[in-house]
Amino acid sequence: MSPGARLVAVLGVLALVLLLVGAAALFVGSAALSPGAVLAALTGRTGARSIESVVTLSIRLPRIAVAALAGGALAVAGVAFQALTRNPLAEPSVLGVSGGAAFGVVIGQSVGLGFGVLGAAGLTAFAFAGAVVAAGAVYLVAGAGRLSVQTLLLAGVIVGLFFASAITVVISFVDVNRLGGVIHWLLGNLATIPPASLGLFALTAAAGLALVLPHARELNLLALGEEAAQQLGVDAERLKLQIFAGAALLTASVVAFAGPIGFVGLIVPHALRLLLGPDNRLLVPAAFVGGGIFLLAADTVARSIVAPAELSVGVITSFCGAPFFVWLLRTRYRALL
Amino acid sequence: MIRTLAVAGLLLVASPGHGLGVRDMIGRDVALAGPPARIVSLVPSVTEIVFALGAEDRLVGVTDFCDYPPAARRKPRVGGMLAPSLEVITSLRPDLVVATTEGSREETVAQLQRLGIPVYLVAAHRLADVWDVIARLGALTGREAAAGHLVAGLRARVRAVEQAVAAGSRPRVLYVLWPEPLIVPGRESLVTELIGIAGGRSISASEGTDYPRFALEAAVARAPEVILLANHSASTGGIDRERWRGLTSVPAIRDGRLHAVNGDLLHRYGPRIVDGLEQLARAIHPEAFR
Amino acid sequence: MIVEARGVGFVYPPARRVRPFRLADLTFGVAAGELLGVIGPNSAGKTTLIRLLSRVLEPSAGEILLEGRPLARLDRAEVARCVAVVPQGVPPQFPFTVEELVLMGRFPHAPGRYFESGADRATARAAMAATGVLELATLPLDTLSGGERQRAVIARALAQEPRLLVLDEPTAHLDLRYQAETAALLRRLNRERHVSILLVSHDLNLAAEVCDRLLLLAGGRPVRLGAPEEVLEAEVLEAVYGCEVHVDKSAASRRPVVQVVWPDAGGR
Repeated sequence: MSPGARLVAVLGVLALVLLLVGAAALFVGSAALSPGAVLAALTGRTGARSIESVVTLSIRLPRIAVAALAGGALAVAGVAFQALTRNPLAEPSVLGVSGGAAFGVVIGQSVGLGFGVLGAAGLTAFAFAGAVVAAGAVYLVAGAGRLSVQTLLLAGVIVGLFFASAITVVISFVDVNRLGGVIHWLLGNLATIPPASLGLFALTAAAGLALVLPHARELNLLALGEEAAQQLGVDAERLKLQIFAGAALLTASVVAFAGPIGFVGLIVPHALRLLLGPDNRLLVPAAFVGGGIFLLAADTVARSIVAPAELSVGVITSFCGAPFFVWLLRTRYRALL
Repeated sequence: MIRTLAVAGLLLVASPGHGLGVRDMIGRDVALAGPPARIVSLVPSVTEIVFALGAEDRLVGVTDFCDYPPAARRKPRVGGMLAPSLEVITSLRPDLVVATTEGSREETVAQLQRLGIPVYLVAAHRLADVWDVIARLGALTGREAAAGHLVAGLRARVRAVEQAVAAGSRPRVLYVLWPEPLIVPGRESLVTELIGIAGGRSISASEGTDYPRFALEAAVARAPEVILLANHSASTGGIDRERWRGLTSVPAIRDGRLHAVNGDLLHRYGPRIVDGLEQLARAIHPEAFR
Repeated sequence: MIVEARGVGFVYPPARRVRPFRLADLTFGVAAGELLGVIGPNSAGKTTLIRLLSRVLEPSAGEILLEGRPLARLDRAEVARCVAVVPQGVPPQFPFTVEELVLMGRFPHAPGRYFESGADRATARAAMAATGVLELATLPLDTLSGGERQRAVIARALAQEPRLLVLDEPTAHLDLRYQAETAALLRRLNRERHVSILLVSHDLNLAAEVCDRLLLLAGGRPVRLGAPEEVLEAEVLEAVYGCEVHVDKSAASRRPVVQVVWPDAGGR
């Protein structure tokens, strides 16, 4: 099977799974709608103002779209950071990049940015700035060039802690009434967002993907080491910058529209690597779809397990992610422990 | 009574055939198709008021925190105050949702509006606001008379408290909303006003906005003569008292004037707030209530 | 001349706690079909030379010509199509298979492609056959022995279809058997396939055996350039390496054999 055909087959299967999970998610929720009611809403047989229609099309459907998009963006960011740092434990929340983006958003909100498409665009810009600062800080703390596993993890933890503290400082000036809302956001929650915002989210995620996907082949070469990659014709400096920007943009867009959600960029790329091998040309596009499947499933659990209350999806991913991280360390990196 | 009716009349701009337009407590215009008959309350205070007005038959959904009166617990639940389930709210087919600027998220309000559900916002920073909330809810539920009655009774009890403590001194009072971090009622807090009415002087009356953080040192430096610990339906009793007992320079500790008060009565702005006021007065001026 | 260095100099930018190092007055060339060895003590500048030839570093003085064209004016892909560097192995935990590694060598020929073409795959297979790793193609690199891994890396360089193959210490860390195999492979590539080779090695005897000419570097400067017999003279080596040596002639090949004279432990 030629590699191109293999890619198409893999994407086809993943897309099918995504569609099935998405369809299943439409039938799950705290308003007790029968499957028939949901189907009726989807086929337009119920009025536009009916409960079935509103719940299915205006509440569940947009949320499913957000979950799929956010999961895909985070998974691709994970693959990108892992290739960039030649370190399989790198991902936006482990590297403190999510924390930086979250800090950016908190700052943006405290200067009054908030609603409407323009407000969301502004928040994304602040999130991006925060993400870039955090990633740059990790690079500096780890000592540019010496990106060993331990150094990188340590640097990521330090930077993540720093931004968490910075966020706490900002929070301490928020009044008690709004505190609950801020903390709720920090846990990472997916919510229904209006179509205009969804469009903007899709756009920024696509832009991030566009910075990473075309360079998937060069990311493979990066595994040889920067010098060897340069000797094969890769412009390593420019490549690093583009991948970095793409991964930061993907992270920032998710944080701006959904809040900091962790571990997706760790779990999904690794699961895919076990299935598909290390070739980034397969991993990057597969992660975009696979990440969507994972986060969508997690979110569906989050909003149904204690209905009508909801768990934050960030809680589910952390509960899965932390043990997975430990398992990875113990099986792949015995030498470190 | 007349004043309440006048307020209610000013609030309702009836245009036959086009439904009602009302203005909520933060000045937003809320368009209603008619007098609301299916109300979802996202505010425990509002739930209490609706029951007190006898209009609970119009209440179709409440939050998990709406626990008073006990009958409220039997109403359908929509989740917490921060993240109520949009799906459950929608499936209850409400024609009005009541939320607050102090506790509901702006995003929730925005999402409900996008789904075409009218949202009415309330807020109370002063006792006068509490009468206003009751009057408005009375107007919305068609129970103006009951509202007027309720407010009149409550105001009479408030006057009684004022008279009882008028003669006494005005001791310095520290009200502890939350012990760690220390959170106190500030300038804009209803509790500050109530402490004043109850014949005390809150040592944090000039601080921040409604519930600022406060350094323990600063509290000790202001030498409160009475310390009130708010109880939030969870025990803050024994353990916290120990923390305070060590501060022997503070007059309140020396004189043993460290009391627990029921936070639910004082942090919600339903009719029980006057119960809370009376509790405050008894703690600050025990001699006036023997 | 495939590659020619004229008066090349290089200075590493000053940094704290790093001894300043400079390369100077380097003038030499590799003729088509030649096997040139670069020898010298550690920190003589051998690795720096490789980086200069593959355009990882830019010279601070002089110029390097690649088939007559200035190296500095070529873009990286062009350089990679001409010069292939075989590093000392692959980084640890390298996850790819032999075939995937060798295919990476095709990148400079079509950097814009997402997947390699059928022609690329054929070239890769030929390269693997030339170094004898074709039957290992689907195996991950970290399951191979040191010698097999080295041959896979050489295959990757061959897949670049370079005019010049540059090897950086190809036999370091290898067992004797694999050292012999590598020497045989290099000779075969050079004689039968006419690949020009620049071999950097600290193994003087390997270099003497296999190379047509040797360039001896010390302290960043060229000391001798010529046939192995001319370069590997005892006095020269003793001056450069700072220890006593004895130079013999191999019975089989008539090439110089260098032996260290071990310091007298006492009495024999």
